[in-house]
Amino acid sequence: MFSTVAQAVINGLLIGGIYALVSIGVTLIFGVVKVVNFAQGEFVMIGMYISFFLATKLGVDPLLSLAISMPALFLIGVLLQETLIRRVLGLGDMPQIFLTFALSLLLMNVALLLFTANYQTVHTAYSDASFQVGPVYVSVAKLIAFVVAMLLSGALWLFLHATDMGKAMRAAAQNRDVAMLMGINPNRVFSVAVGLALALAGAAGSLLMPFYPAYPTVGQVFTLMAFVAVILGTLGNVTGALIAGLMMGIAESLGIQFVGADSGLIVVFLMLLVTLAVRPSGLFGGWSR
Amino acid sequence: MVPIKTIAIVLAATILIALPLVVKNAFALDICIRVLLFAFIGVAWNLMGGYAKQLSLGHAAFFGLGAYTSTLLLIRLGISPWIGIVAGGVVAMLVSLPIGWLCFRLRGPYFAIATIAVAQVLMLLFLKLRDFAWGAEGTTLPNLGNAPLMMQFGGKAGYYWLALVLLALALAITYRIERSWMGYYLVAVGEDEDAAEAIGVNAPRIKRDVYLISAFLTALAGTFYVQYIYFIDPNTAFSFNVSVEAALVSIVGGIGTLWGPVLGTILLEPTSALLQSTLGSGRGGVQLTVYALILMAVILWRPTGLLGIFTDTYQRIARRG
Repeated sequence: MFSTVAQAVINGLLIGGIYALVSIGVTLIFGVVKVVNFAQGEFVMIGMYISFFLATKLGVDPLLSLAISMPALFLIGVLLQETLIRRVLGLGDMPQIFLTFALSLLLMNVALLLFTANYQTVHTAYSDASFQVGPVYVSVAKLIAFVVAMLLSGALWLFLHATDMGKAMRAAAQNRDVAMLMGINPNRVFSVAVGLALALAGAAGSLLMPFYPAYPTVGQVFTLMAFVAVILGTLGNVTGALIAGLMMGIAESLGIQFVGADSGLIVVFLMLLVTLAVRPSGLFGGWSR
Repeated sequence: MVPIKTIAIVLAATILIALPLVVKNAFALDICIRVLLFAFIGVAWNLMGGYAKQLSLGHAAFFGLGAYTSTLLLIRLGISPWIGIVAGGVVAMLVSLPIGWLCFRLRGPYFAIATIAVAQVLMLLFLKLRDFAWGAEGTTLPNLGNAPLMMQFGGKAGYYWLALVLLALALAITYRIERSWMGYYLVAVGEDEDAAEAIGVNAPRIKRDVYLISAFLTALAGTFYVQYIYFIDPNTAFSFNVSVEAALVSIVGGIGTLWGPVLGTILLEPTSALLQSTLGSGRGGVQLTVYALILMAVILWRPTGLLGIFTDTYQRIARRG
């Protein structure tokens, strides 16, 4: 019994690292730009396909393709902010929600047209490798993904706290008007925030590729997970999203283990609904400093 | 002298009612039925999403509940879907109460996300109910041939008229609400909930009431749809596409207007049907790609919807004449 629980927790924690990465992106965009990005999961999907094609066409290891998927997604993010999101800022809920929602639909279905609905996988030397710690088996590919995800989250935290741009971003998140009065250029800050959020999604895609199939609608699960995590962790709170993302992974894994193979999401959504009922502002309060 | 407006309405109604007597092509009639059905769902969504700006992305929850309630009653107990359709509506209303209680404390994007989660939970739940509700495989509905008492019709005409009645009902309800105190309350809550509450609008109550109506109507559509396609499974009944399309047709046509969802459906549904038939359904993704592009274009260039273009043109012509 103990080893089953331990195994489920470890599996969940490792995949939770990926959820955390996606969630931090959602919460970063919401915190700074005040727009909920319904297409975040689709950028994970794009990251996966970038890694998939680099691996199958050029033989690049998915982990090395991180160096391409992250900058590529960063640029897409800047472009997205400059061409689309910027045009609906301050226009109220409807345009803001449905613009990124339409973008999500668009990316999913263009991917379907280009790549078909087939599952694409990349097999690496470490894809099936695992080692044993006490009673628990740890998958090497998932462990690498988790460690890199945590390093990237840590790097983002450092960026937000130790650089001028990061501080400007937090200032803009706290109070846009005052930040502007202090000489912060909001457009630049917004572009970098969306770019970083998408780069994290791209990284999540590349990290997933060695052990997770790529297909056009793969992003939906990640978007939903990220939404649950950012609400649990309080929208706009980066540390909260990180912790909640890890919790989501563990909750899903325990759900699969003890309720049934298709019940992981039920457990996650019920957690969300219970949170909403009991503590609608999330578990962690306002913007993390 | 009968006013021109009355003549126009009577004329339009006559054409709409007589249409299946003239159009015998099953494909064309199928498109008409889908237009009526999705316009109906759109009008139901619009009551809440358009007037009160409660942007639900989970109306599939009620569509599915309506579909499953009538189907379960029909197959398990042999009860006519005419009773089932009302029962489904009532079930949806009852379920909307706790959902509303949970979700209405949230605003804007939080609300939209929570409604997605609720619809997903219901879908996953029905996937789990293998013995009671046929699980993931779903079930076909008994084909009784021409049995109007069991809401099954020999040709497509019967379904067409039923869908027309449903749409007329939803439009009549919206028309009444638009001109009542409730309509003004809804718009006030949609514009600024805090300000509305400050001047004495009971926002939680008004949101709950409109949610009840919207859920009831959406559930009727669910029953109609499974009776029409003779098949039910969780992925059809709680399809995310239903939630999307309900909002989509309203936004494209004109959010918070009586005729917006109808116009949106007339523009979108035949486009997608023709796209699918010309490009073939083998290559998925075309329909939603086009929908997504239209939605983005409308949001960026005409966020109030396309209805405004038509009314503007009409007024210009009227003024000139």
